[in-house]
Amino acid sequence: MKHRWVTAISIIFLSVCTATSVTFTADGSRKSLSVIVDTTADRSDEAQAVAEYLRAVGVSAEVRVWEWSALKERILAGGRQMYLTDWGSAYFDPFDLAVPKLRTGDRGNYSFYSNPRFDAALDAALGSNDSEVRRRAYFEAQEILRKDAPWVFGYSLLETEAARADVLDWQPSMDSRMNLHDVGLKRGDTIVVGMQADRILTLDPATYRDRWTETVIRNMFDGLVTRTVDGRVVPEIAEDWKAISDTEYIFKIRAGIEFHNGDTLTADDVVFSFDRVIRDGAIGGRTSPRKGLLGPLTSVEKVDDHTVRLKLASPFPVLLQALVHVQVVPRNYLMRVGDDEFARRPVGCGPFKFVEGRLDDKVVMDRFDGYYGGSPDLPPVGPARVKRVIFRMMPDPTVRVAALKTGEVHIIQSVPAHLAASLGRDRNLQVKTAEGTRVYCIEMNCARPPFDDVRVRMAMNHAIDWDTILKTIHVGGAARLSTAFLPSGFGYNTELAPYSYDPGKARSLLAEAGYSGR
Amino acid sequence: MIRLSRLQVRIIERTAATIPLALAVAVAAFVLMRAIPGDPVDIMMGEGASSSGEEVVALRTQLGLDEPIHRQLSSYLKALFRGDLGYSIIRSRPVAEMIREAAPATIELAVYAMLFALALGIPVGVAAALKHNTVFDRVSMAMSFIGVSLPAFWLGIVAILVFAMTLGWAPTSGRIPYGLEPRHITGLLTLDALLTGNMPALGSALRHLCLPAITLGLGVAAVVARVTRSSMLDVLGSDYVLFARAKGVPESAVTIRHALRNAMIPTVTLVGLQFGSLLGGNMIVETVFGWPGLGRVVVDAVFARDYPVVQASVMVYALTFVLINLVTDVIYTALDPKMALQ
Repeated sequence: MKHRWVTAISIIFLSVCTATSVTFTADGSRKSLSVIVDTTADRSDEAQAVAEYLRAVGVSAEVRVWEWSALKERILAGGRQMYLTDWGSAYFDPFDLAVPKLRTGDRGNYSFYSNPRFDAALDAALGSNDSEVRRRAYFEAQEILRKDAPWVFGYSLLETEAARADVLDWQPSMDSRMNLHDVGLKRGDTIVVGMQADRILTLDPATYRDRWTETVIRNMFDGLVTRTVDGRVVPEIAEDWKAISDTEYIFKIRAGIEFHNGDTLTADDVVFSFDRVIRDGAIGGRTSPRKGLLGPLTSVEKVDDHTVRLKLASPFPVLLQALVHVQVVPRNYLMRVGDDEFARRPVGCGPFKFVEGRLDDKVVMDRFDGYYGGSPDLPPVGPARVKRVIFRMMPDPTVRVAALKTGEVHIIQSVPAHLAASLGRDRNLQVKTAEGTRVYCIEMNCARPPFDDVRVRMAMNHAIDWDTILKTIHVGGAARLSTAFLPSGFGYNTELAPYSYDPGKARSLLAEAGYSGR
Repeated sequence: MIRLSRLQVRIIERTAATIPLALAVAVAAFVLMRAIPGDPVDIMMGEGASSSGEEVVALRTQLGLDEPIHRQLSSYLKALFRGDLGYSIIRSRPVAEMIREAAPATIELAVYAMLFALALGIPVGVAAALKHNTVFDRVSMAMSFIGVSLPAFWLGIVAILVFAMTLGWAPTSGRIPYGLEPRHITGLLTLDALLTGNMPALGSALRHLCLPAITLGLGVAAVVARVTRSSMLDVLGSDYVLFARAKGVPESAVTIRHALRNAMIPTVTLVGLQFGSLLGGNMIVETVFGWPGLGRVVVDAVFARDYPVVQASVMVYALTFVLINLVTDVIYTALDPKMALQ
C-alpha cells in the first residue's frame, strides 16, 4: 500500500485528537463536549455559522477547512467527527443517494451508519419492480432514518441558470442535459453557452463520470431513452420497449437514424456502445468509468437489425433512468479510427455535430441537418433550430455573469445566489431555476463517541437554525430536507418534517447524554 | 581545435547542467505527488465507485497505480528517456499533446504582461529617479507599492466589471472568438496573425490580451519601477556620470547612454526572474479570464491528482526557468562587457 505510512500516522494523530475531544470537568460526572467541524473551502462560511450555533448550546466547536481528497481519506480512516459533505443523484431515485450514502458499508457511507432494519427496507425497494412496494419500503426507510439521525440533515440547492431575453424556449433541467435542440434565438443563429466547468474531460461518451462533460456530449449523442425537464423517461433512439421478465427487456430501435458521418444506426451500434461500457478492458484495455452506472446489466444482444435484448443479473428498478446516461456511438467508425482518435473527432447521431474544440477552452458544434428529429415526446421534432452551438469554459461566476450581461454568451450555468435577484430584474435577461438533485448535509461519525449516541446526534439536528443560514448564505435558493431523500426523487415522503430549530431541546438531549453546557 | 569564447563555454556548461536538474525535478515531482493524500482513480470516479470499490481497484491495476512506488518510478523514468511524457489519467490523452496545446497561450500572455510591465515600469522608474524627492517620485512609488500589493484575482474581476462589462472596451474573457483564429503556425495568436497578415485576428487577439496582460503585468511593473529607480539613483550619483556632465555631455545623453544602460543590469536580472514567475504564477489570472493556458492545466491536474500531467508540467516549468536564466546571463554580457571578462 503506497499510502500506508501516511494513513497510519494520521490515524494515530487523529485518534488522539478524538480521544481528547470528550473532556471531564472537575466534578467528574458531567463531561463537556468539544467537536471539530470539517469542511471544504466552498462551505466554510456555512461551517462557521454551524459552529456558532453549536457553541450556543454549550458545545465547544471549531472549524477546520480542508482540501476534499485529503479530508475524504481521513474521514474514511474513521478519524474525523463531523463533516460538511454533499452527494448528487442522477437517477431521481434513492438508488444512487440514500443507498450508497447510508446502507451498511456502502461506498459513500462516510457516517459509518448501520441499521439492519434500514438496510432491509432499502433492499426491499431495490429488489422489486413494483412501485407501490418500493414506495412503501422507501417511506419506512425515511422514518427510520429520521429517528436515527446519522447526519445533521441539510438541504438541497436550486440550480439557477440565466439566459439573454432573446433566447427562446429555454428551460434548465434537473439532470445534466442542456437541451439546445429545442432552443431558438430571436436574432442570430449561434448560441454561446458559458459553462461553469474549468474544463470537460472528453468527448467520448464512455470515458467520463462528471456532469459537465455529459452536458456537452449529450448535444452530439443520443441514447435509447432520454428525460423530460421534470424527470420523466421518454423514448429517444428506441421506439418502445417491453419487459419480458424482471431481468430481461426488449428494445425496438427507430429505423432511418443516421450518424453524422452518414452511417445508418442499427442494433450493432447499440450493442457495441453498451459493450464498451460494461465489458472489462473494452476501451484500449481500460474499463469504462461508467460501468457502475448500469448496475446488474450483464449483456445487450442483437435480436435483429432494429431490436436488442437487455439481460440483467437481478431486478433493476431504475434501469430506464440508467439508460438515459448511455449514448450510442457508431461502431464501424470507432473501430476504424480507434478510441483516441474518436475522442478527438467524435461522431454521434445527436442534433449537433462536432466541428472543433479544446476541452478547457471551447467546444464548437454545428447543426446536423440529417438529424432524425429526437424524442417525439419532446417537441419540436426535427433538426435543431439554431445553426451553431459553442460551449465556453468559464469557471469564474462573476465573469460568466459579466459575459452574459455584455451579450458575449447567451446562456450561463450556475448563477451565484446573491446575483440571481439582480439579474432577474434586468429586462435583457431571464433567470430560471430547476430543482436540485444534490443533498448537502453534515455527516457525523456514528461509530465513535460522542456521535455513537443517538441523543447527541439528535441534539445536533435541533441545535442548528438552518432556515437562517440558508436565507443568509443561499438567499432562499435552497430547500430544507427532512432526511437524506430528495423531493425530486422517487419515494419521497412529503409528510415527514425536518428537525425543528430548538436549542432548549438540544441542551436537554445533551444533558441526558451526560454532557454539561459550558 | 575550436576555441570557444567564455560566453559559449558558459552556455554549454549551463545546458549540460540542465540534465541532472531535470532528472532531480522529475523524481521530486513524482515522489511528492504520491505523498499527498488522495488517489486519481478515486477522484475520477467521484461518487460513482461501486459498492465494493472493485471498479476502483480494477482501474488502478489497469493504470499500473497498484505497483510498488519504486517500480512505477523506474518505468516513468524509462519512458521519460524515450521522450514519452505519459498519458493523462483523468483526460485519457497524451500529456505532451496537452502541454503543446496549452503552452502557447501561457507564453503569449506572459510576454505581453512583461511588455506592459516594462513599458510602464522603466519610464516611471527613470522619471522618479530624475525627479528624486519630488511629489512625482513619492506618488509614483506609493502607486507602485499598491501595485505590488493588489491580489490578481481581485484586480482581474474589477477590471472585467469596469472595463469589459460597464465600459465595454474589451471582452470579458477568452483568447479569440470562434471563427477568427489565424492559421496555426506557432500557436501564439498575435504572431500567427502577423505572419499570415490576418489583421482582424490580430486586433481581436490584442483586445482579448489587454485585461489579462495588464492584470498579470501590473505587479511586475511596480517592481520594475522600484528597481529601476533605485539603480538609476545609484548610477546618477556615480563619478563617471559626474565626469560626463562636467565634460559637457547633454543631459539627455547622460541619462540614456551613460546612466540608463548601466542602471538596466539589475532590471534585466529582475525581468528574468519575474518572467519565470509570470509563466508559473498566472494560474489565477488564467482562471479568472478563462485563458486556456498551462496554469489551468496544472491546477486542475494537482486537484485531480493526475500524476503524469503534474510531473510533466513541473518539469516544463523548471526547464523554462533554467532557460530564462541562461538568456538573462547572455543579455547581461551584452549590456556589460566587464561580465564577459570575469
